[in-house]
Amino acid sequence: MNPLIIRGIRERLRIKNLIASGLLSLILCSTLYLAAFLDGMQTWVPAAVSSSGKDELLSIPLNGAREAFTVLLILQGFYLMFLGTGRVASGTAEEKESGLLDYQRMTPMSPLSKITGYLFGLPSREYLMFLITLPFLLHCMVVGEIPPLNLAQLYAVFFCSVLLYHLTAHVIGMVVARPRAASWVARLAVLGLYVFLPVLGQAGISFLSFLTIIPTYFGKILPHLLAEGTEKLGRFEGQAVAFWQEVPFFTIQVSPTTFTFAMQGMILLGLLFTAYRKWRLDSLPALSKPLGLGLFVILQFLLLGSLWPFFSLGEASGLLGHALQLDPAKTGLPNQLKHDAQPAIAMIVVQAIFFLLNLAAVLLLINVCCPNPHRRLKGIQRKEKLGIHRIPSLADESPGGIFAIILSLIVSLAFACLHFLAVSSEQVNSVSSSLNTVFLPSLLFLCTSLSLRAAREQWFNLGFWGYVGLLWLTPVLACLVLAVDDLLGNSQFMLYLSALSPLTFFPQLITYVSPSLLSEASQFANFSMPVSTGISSAILLALVLTIRLFRYQKT
Amino acid sequence: MIEVRDLKIHYGDLVAVDQLCFSVKPGSIFGLIGPNGAGKTSAIKAIATLLEPTYGDIWVKEISALHQPEKARKLLGYMPDFPPVYEDLKIWEFCDLFAHAYGLVGEHRKASVLQSLHATGLKEQMNAPCRTLSRGMRQRALLAKTLVHDPAVLLLDEPAANLDPKSRIDLRNILKKLAGNGKTILLSSHVLSEIEDTCDTLGFMKAGKMALCGTIDEITRSNRQNCLLKIHLSRAVPNLLKVIDQISILSEFKETGTEGTRFRASMNGGEKEATEVLAQLVNAGLPVAGFICHRPSVEDLFLQIESQPTVEKQAE
Repeated sequence: MNPLIIRGIRERLRIKNLIASGLLSLILCSTLYLAAFLDGMQTWVPAAVSSSGKDELLSIPLNGAREAFTVLLILQGFYLMFLGTGRVASGTAEEKESGLLDYQRMTPMSPLSKITGYLFGLPSREYLMFLITLPFLLHCMVVGEIPPLNLAQLYAVFFCSVLLYHLTAHVIGMVVARPRAASWVARLAVLGLYVFLPVLGQAGISFLSFLTIIPTYFGKILPHLLAEGTEKLGRFEGQAVAFWQEVPFFTIQVSPTTFTFAMQGMILLGLLFTAYRKWRLDSLPALSKPLGLGLFVILQFLLLGSLWPFFSLGEASGLLGHALQLDPAKTGLPNQLKHDAQPAIAMIVVQAIFFLLNLAAVLLLINVCCPNPHRRLKGIQRKEKLGIHRIPSLADESPGGIFAIILSLIVSLAFACLHFLAVSSEQVNSVSSSLNTVFLPSLLFLCTSLSLRAAREQWFNLGFWGYVGLLWLTPVLACLVLAVDDLLGNSQFMLYLSALSPLTFFPQLITYVSPSLLSEASQFANFSMPVSTGISSAILLALVLTIRLFRYQKT
Repeated sequence: MIEVRDLKIHYGDLVAVDQLCFSVKPGSIFGLIGPNGAGKTSAIKAIATLLEPTYGDIWVKEISALHQPEKARKLLGYMPDFPPVYEDLKIWEFCDLFAHAYGLVGEHRKASVLQSLHATGLKEQMNAPCRTLSRGMRQRALLAKTLVHDPAVLLLDEPAANLDPKSRIDLRNILKKLAGNGKTILLSSHVLSEIEDTCDTLGFMKAGKMALCGTIDEITRSNRQNCLLKIHLSRAVPNLLKVIDQISILSEFKETGTEGTRFRASMNGGEKEATEVLAQLVNAGLPVAGFICHRPSVEDLFLQIESQPTVEKQAE
């Protein structure tokens, strides 16, 4: 058995801990389960169905078990996904801070064994608490007549998610220095990555929805949790089940379980590479440049696959699809915008999300992969030692200029693919065939990436985040204040201001190049000058920061 | 066994270790001395493969610690300058964890754990939880963990810190025994008298560089021309400085007391020259009550080097 798992069991499951955590889990689980079970069991049977010919309250154990299942699942998720994740993050960070991780780093166990040991050893108590809930699950399955095969699918995805969250926590624990911070950063990251980000799945980027167990729960389990005598699900549940039945990806349909495994497997792989590097040597960047590029290409592939149906057929699922089917009269849009506005607005929303999501990915990759001053110096000294002319472009020590350009080119290429797909489609009329539609956002993306890289390499940590916060957030906040003051009166000034932040400038630029909306939108404000200002300032900023970095590195 | 060449370690703009070169022979105990911030811990961490140097080479038994860290780690036992332990494990479990992680199995593992606990005097307390241990005991537990896989090279950062005098003597005996069995030991310490008694080779680090390096004999021989004199007069003498100025081989004459009767000076020369100095002082009518001449100890050398500007020349 893995020595680190044995260590976890010895540390966290001594007899006293075993009894205390076991009892706690048993009491909590039995209380919640029984409460839900008894509540669900009491079912009003309408007169039409009732044997007595009138409305009556019956005790139906099947209904109780079905209702209690969701409560049980939430409790299990709380044990392993919330408590377990926090434990892995804080345990890893504590050991990093104290130096214990260095002892482990020096042992000849393979990094993969060490990762396995930490993932299963640190949350050993949480696994025990989970085990205590299993008899209740069995009761649920038997009494509630939930198909075992579907349950097996759900729990396979559940454990895959747990592994994913714990690995995320482990990586965060190795990267963030302070243990208390690591525990909460990990929980927040898990919430952000696996709860908030999946919401974007409702806006056409369906693959983001498959980072959690929710699709499998809605797709495979919820239809089997109907109370006896109920023929169909409620409106919300019905929509959710329909949304998570099959996933449109390029031109094919994929099962939600398969898609979830694929998504989570891909992220697991990326995190494993990161953890592997950190186990080898703490000072290495979390991702190498080739690995960062590889993950970024996969992200583009997923984005393309998810957005393909929208750009080729104008179809979307989730809230976006729902919005596209709305009656124009009920949209609440100004009269001037009502005619054919939904597809155009949906197109702007999707394109803006596409760029902002990519911007977030580029921000992360530049932050991780571009060298800090120490690593850059090391590169220079190694270059001299080995007598080579220049450091290889994708080495950890090499400057990130080419890396940033490649990232921007990949995004431009993916966007161009989607754009020309929409232009060539007969069903989609909401994009302009003008080359500016691809060129201007791509240019802005390139300039933003280059500025980010230059800021990262010359100011590094605090300065970099200060730069991002100041330039990206301040204009947005200022616009917010102006909008509250007088939206229409300040609109022109707000356009100039928002052109300074990539967060607001991408939607603005995409609206500008959108043919259907600009004619109407221009009645409210003049887009042309703010867009020119935004593009010019992005180019200027990229140039100034790059020249400044060049000078700094020369000295 | 350990060879460090042109080692440089930067933390941003700070140069922690600068062109450090030294080698440690098999069966030798090498002591690394230097003031705080001299770069000792960084150098030891780099040899332990835990810190990536900016430049340079490190070889452990002809294995490059930079290019083949996994192979080098099997040969190394590392003990950091502060003793972190797994608080909720018992001492034997702590050692067993590492014995297991280093691939020891079955009875051999059990025997190794017991042996390392015995060597560090922890056999009696082996069932005590680590969280109940004092700092000195933690240090022992850590040493036991470091010895459990029988590494060929031991890297010990301040191993004697926090130990009581008896434990220090025990540690010294353990290290000497290990070196006698062919282990190569590199240790750093601030306890200079301790290092003088334990080590056979010393390296003085200052501002990231090796200021002086060699066996204790080599170092003291190279400084033989500098003797330290301690002079004690029975009463204060007004014309003392005039007399001292006339003795050209004396330098750095300083009063060490407050009554004008106790002084210290450096002298170029050995015992013969010291006898001449004493004769000159007596002939000048000084009431000499005490006169001691001794060669500088490691501690004196340490203080001397620390007060000098950084020596550029690297010692091999």
